[in-house]
Amino acid sequence: MSAPAQELDTNVRELTTCLVGMPNSGKTTLMNAITGGNFRTANYAGVTVSLLRGRSKSEFGSAFNVVDLPGVHSSVSPSPEEELACTVIEGRHSRVQPDAFILVADATQLERHLKFAGYVARQGRPLVVALTMVDLLGRTRLSVDVQKLAAGLGVPVVPVDGRTGKGVQELMAVLHRTCEHPISDSALSRLPDEPVSSFKAVRELLDRTGAMRREARTSHTDAVTAKIDSVVLHRFTGFPIFLLVLVSLFAAIFWAATPFVDAVDAGFSMAADLVQQVLPESLISRFIAEGLIAGVGSVAVFFPQIMILFFLMTLLEDSGYLARGAALVDRPLSFLGLHGRSFVPMLSGFACAIPAVFAARAIPARRERLLTIWILPLMSCSARLPVYALLLTALLPAAAWTQGLALAAIYISSLLVGSIVAGLASRIILRHRNPSLLAMELPVYRAPRWVPILRMTWARGSAYLRRAGVPIVVVSIVLWLLSSFAFSPQTIITPAEMENSLAAQLGQAMAPLLQPMGVDWRVGVGLISAFAAREVFVSSMAIVFHIEGDDEETQQAGLLEQMRTATFPGSAQLIFTPSSIFGLIVFFFFSLQCFSTVAVIRRETNSWRLALTQLLFYTGLGYTLAVISVQALRALGIA
Amino acid sequence: MRHSTLVKSENDNRFHLLSEMPLNCWCRIQRLEGPEADRERLIDLGFTPGEEIVVTQSSPLGDPLVVRVRDALLALRKREASWIWVETA
Repeated sequence: MSAPAQELDTNVRELTTCLVGMPNSGKTTLMNAITGGNFRTANYAGVTVSLLRGRSKSEFGSAFNVVDLPGVHSSVSPSPEEELACTVIEGRHSRVQPDAFILVADATQLERHLKFAGYVARQGRPLVVALTMVDLLGRTRLSVDVQKLAAGLGVPVVPVDGRTGKGVQELMAVLHRTCEHPISDSALSRLPDEPVSSFKAVRELLDRTGAMRREARTSHTDAVTAKIDSVVLHRFTGFPIFLLVLVSLFAAIFWAATPFVDAVDAGFSMAADLVQQVLPESLISRFIAEGLIAGVGSVAVFFPQIMILFFLMTLLEDSGYLARGAALVDRPLSFLGLHGRSFVPMLSGFACAIPAVFAARAIPARRERLLTIWILPLMSCSARLPVYALLLTALLPAAAWTQGLALAAIYISSLLVGSIVAGLASRIILRHRNPSLLAMELPVYRAPRWVPILRMTWARGSAYLRRAGVPIVVVSIVLWLLSSFAFSPQTIITPAEMENSLAAQLGQAMAPLLQPMGVDWRVGVGLISAFAAREVFVSSMAIVFHIEGDDEETQQAGLLEQMRTATFPGSAQLIFTPSSIFGLIVFFFFSLQCFSTVAVIRRETNSWRLALTQLLFYTGLGYTLAVISVQALRALGIA
Repeated sequence: MRHSTLVKSENDNRFHLLSEMPLNCWCRIQRLEGPEADRERLIDLGFTPGEEIVVTQSSPLGDPLVVRVRDALLALRKREASWIWVETA
C-alpha cells in the first residue's frame, strides 16, 4: 500500500539492477557476493524461482537495489519462472523496472549465454556482462580473451568469481559508470532475434574477434565431469550409487538427527515445567506452558531434521549430482506423469511435506509440478513415525524386528501408493498426452563451498520456520483452547476433565463416524488434535487416557498399558483390537492430517480449491479405506 | 513418430535419428521435427540445423541421453532425441 508512495517520495532515486542469465550461470552466487546477504545459491538448473531482492554492499559505492531473476533457458514456450524473468527483461513488469542489467554469462558456454545476452540487450536497457566460471576454462580446453570480447560485443565485460568475490568490486564500478553513460546500441544488441541466425552471428563474432579459442574438440565438456558421469550414470554403478546417496540421506535424517530432536524435545518440556512452577497456577500459565510452548515445541522438534535435509540437499545441488539423480529416475517418473526432478520433493516428503512442497518449485512444467504436489502428502513424513511406533507396538507386541519390518513395509507402500495415484491421475484426470520437454542441463561438477552452503541451509531453514511455523503454532493453540474450554457449567477445565472439553464434545459428536472404524470418541479427540501435527496424536491420547508423566518413554509405556485394557464406555468390549489398530494405521497412511501442509500448498499453488480438494480427498480416502479394512478384518474373524 | 519412419525410408543411410546414434559419434543436425513449441525451444537451446553434436552418455535405463551441444550437456529424453535428424560426416 505505502510502497509506491514511498518510492515517489525519495528525491534521490535509488538505482535498480537485475541479475539475469541462464540457469547455472552463477547468478545467485554473484548475488551473494554483491549483497553480502544470505541468498540461496545452487548448482541445480532453475533453483531461483522467486525474485530475490537485496541491496549492494556499501563498499561498492552508492547502493543498488539488486534483484535476482529466475534463470532463463529459453524465452520460447517459457516455464512460469522463465516467463516472470522475461516479463522483467522486456520491461513489462509493473513493479520491477531495472535501470541496468547485470548479464551473468558462463565463460565455458559462451555461445548459448551470449545469444541470450543478445535478447536482453535488444530490450534497450544498458547492461554489463559478468563473466563467470572463468576458473573452469582450463578444464574445458577453452580460452577467452575478455578485452577482445568486450570490444567485439560493444558492452563492458567483467570477469567475476562470486565464490571468492574476485572482480565484484570492478563489476559494480563499471555498473555505476554504465548507469551514468548508458549505451543502448551495441554489436550485442544488433544480434538477430531469430535463433538460428543469432547463434550463427554469435559464432562469427567470436571467431572474427578471436575472443574465444578452442584448443581441441573433444566429445566431453570437461574431463572431470566426463569421468564422474561415466561412473554415476553407468549402467551398472549408476543406480547403486543413487541408492547409496538416498540411504545415507535417510540415515542422516532419521538417526543423526535423533539426539538433536531429543534435546529440543527435552528443552521444551523443561521450559513448560519451569513456567508452571514459576507462575502461579492460572489459565495464563497453563496457556503459556501447554498452548504456546508446546505449540512452538511441536515446530521446533522437526527443525533439526529439516536443517539436515536442507544441508544435504544443498550440498547435492551445489556439487551438481542432483541433476544427475533427476536424469536417472526420469524414465520411471515420466511414465507416471511426473518429472525427473520430482524425486527431490518426493524424497524431502519423507522428512516433511512442507519443505517438499517448496522443493517442487524446481519442476519446470506446471502440470508436473501440481501432480508432484498432489502426491506429496502420501510420502510417509517423519511426523507419522511416533504414531506408527505407538500403533505398531500395540499391534505387534512380540518382537522388535516385526515392528521394524512392518515400518519398512509402510514406507515402501507409501512410495508405491504415491506412484499409483500419480499414474492414475496423470492418465485419467490430466490425460497423459503431451509430456513437457525434459532438455535438462547437467552442470559441471564443482567442489562444494562450505560457507555458502551453510548460509543457504540457514536461509532455507529459517524460511521454513517462518512459513510453516506460524500455521503449526496457531493450530496447536486453537486445539489447546478446544481441549481446555467447555460449555457450562465449568468453562475452564483441567486436563483430567478433558471429557467435558469442546474437543471431547466434538469427538462425541463424531462418534457415529468413528464407530465403523472400531474406535470411540477418545481416539476421535486424538485424530482431531493430530491435524496440528500428526505426532500430537500420541500426546493427546495420553491426555484423554489420563496418562501421567512428562517424558516420552514413561508416557508411551503407560499409554500402551491403558490401550490394552481400554473398553468402550459402559461395555466390556476392547477398543484397541488388531483390526481397529490396523484401521488407524491405514487412516494415518492416507489422510492429510496436517493443516500446515494444506496452508503451504494453498500458498504455493495459489489455489484454495486444490488445497481443500486434496484435504478432503486424502482424508476421505483414509477414512473409507480404514472403515473397509476394519470391517473386512472383522468379517474374516479377526477382532 | 510414424511420420518420421516414413521420411527415413526415403533418405539414404547417411541420415539418422539422434536417438539412434552410437555414443561419442559426432554428427551434424539436419532438421528437427516434433510438436512446434518443443521444436522451437530445442532450436533456441542450441539445436540448430548445421550444428555438430554428440551423444556422450546414456543413462542406466537407456533414457534420457546426455547430449553435448554448444559446450553444454543436456539430458534429452529419447522421445525428444527422436525429433532430431542428424547426418554423419
